[in-house]
Amino acid sequence: MSITDIHAYLAEFDDIPGTRVYTAARARQGYHLNQFCMSLMTPENRARWKADEDAYLADWPLSAAQKAAVKARDYNLLLDLGGNIYFLAKIFSTDGLSFVQAVSTMTGMSVADYQAMMIAGGRSPQGVRSIKGGY
Amino acid sequence: MARITHGLASSHIPAIGVAMDLGKTGEAYWQPVFAGYQWTRQWLAETRPDVIILVYNDHASAFDMKLIPTFAIGCGERFQPADEGWGPRPVPDVIGHPDLAWHIAQSLILDEFDMTIINELRVDHGLTVPLSACFGQLPQWPAKVIPLAVNVVTYPPPSGNRCWALGEAIARAVASFREDLNVQVWGTGGMSHQIQGPRAGLINREWDNRFLDGLVGDSDHLRHIPHIEYLREAGSEGIELVMWLIMRGALGRATRALHRHYHVPASNTAVGHIILEPLS
Repeated sequence: MSITDIHAYLAEFDDIPGTRVYTAARARQGYHLNQFCMSLMTPENRARWKADEDAYLADWPLSAAQKAAVKARDYNLLLDLGGNIYFLAKIFSTDGLSFVQAVSTMTGMSVADYQAMMIAGGRSPQGVRSIKGGY
Repeated sequence: MARITHGLASSHIPAIGVAMDLGKTGEAYWQPVFAGYQWTRQWLAETRPDVIILVYNDHASAFDMKLIPTFAIGCGERFQPADEGWGPRPVPDVIGHPDLAWHIAQSLILDEFDMTIINELRVDHGLTVPLSACFGQLPQWPAKVIPLAVNVVTYPPPSGNRCWALGEAIARAVASFREDLNVQVWGTGGMSHQIQGPRAGLINREWDNRFLDGLVGDSDHLRHIPHIEYLREAGSEGIELVMWLIMRGALGRATRALHRHYHVPASNTAVGHIILEPLS
């Protein structure tokens, strides 16, 4: 049962609609971005971040695109730029947002519509399992 | 000798912990979630496990990107709740069982599972929420806990097959510990959920319930589910369910279910919970 073809294993991840799997390639691209997020775990750093986001970001070797996406709280773009959701959560928790509030921003739905969808049983997997297969 | 008496699986949704910590469990939204744990609380009070081997994953709390162990075992005396950004949860410290934990660590390494050993570890909601859901709010946890952390965040996580085999090795290790202990193995996380990207909010009730079905009886087909199936069917965070297979693997050839609970939603996630007894 061991995986012998790593290329085929990784290629399948790109076939899932609306999903960024946190692969090693993303982990490398997002290393400093995610470690920046981790730095927000202390009250002192959160206070410094809230006081001046630009000054705080100046200390971190993020790309210009990553810095702009952090400032814009564009979480889908941050996922594309190597961010991982559990690390990005440090940004939105510092903003005072819950997971539901922050996650809904990635779906193009309002928080109320997203919450209503969850209470109604969540998003159906029908049609969003595979891009190529369309099932 | 020590023996594994039961397996338990539970989601570890952070909002469940928040609901308990803020006294919201009586609200209409939360009542059906907690109703499924009432049986468990009574049962745990009667069965009184000495030690729980609690399989969970850290969520950028104790481990960041500096260090990513695939399988790690907590061998320390005591583990404090982590501050996940809102302050540590107001729950008791988790008390370890270093003698058994070190025995398992040594046994697993000799059994060719190359574990990472942790002595200092802050435990996040992945570990404390199942304790809260299953025991309720208590001044101290009524069992010792051995944390077993699994990487399910950075790909690739371990295969389901490897998780199942690790559970089998844990069972061998526990069986060779020369103290009479009632040990349970808990697998946590899941069930279907996705908390990232435009597909966020995915829930797959049918797939989840087939997974629950598959834990019961003498089939081991769940160990062969590839990662891509978890991702497609149970959402990007549904991959946490491989951790339930460590629990199932530890129970041996066949099981029966004592209790089962499923509810949608809690926050972004399908709540799943099952208690299994090994059949010899």
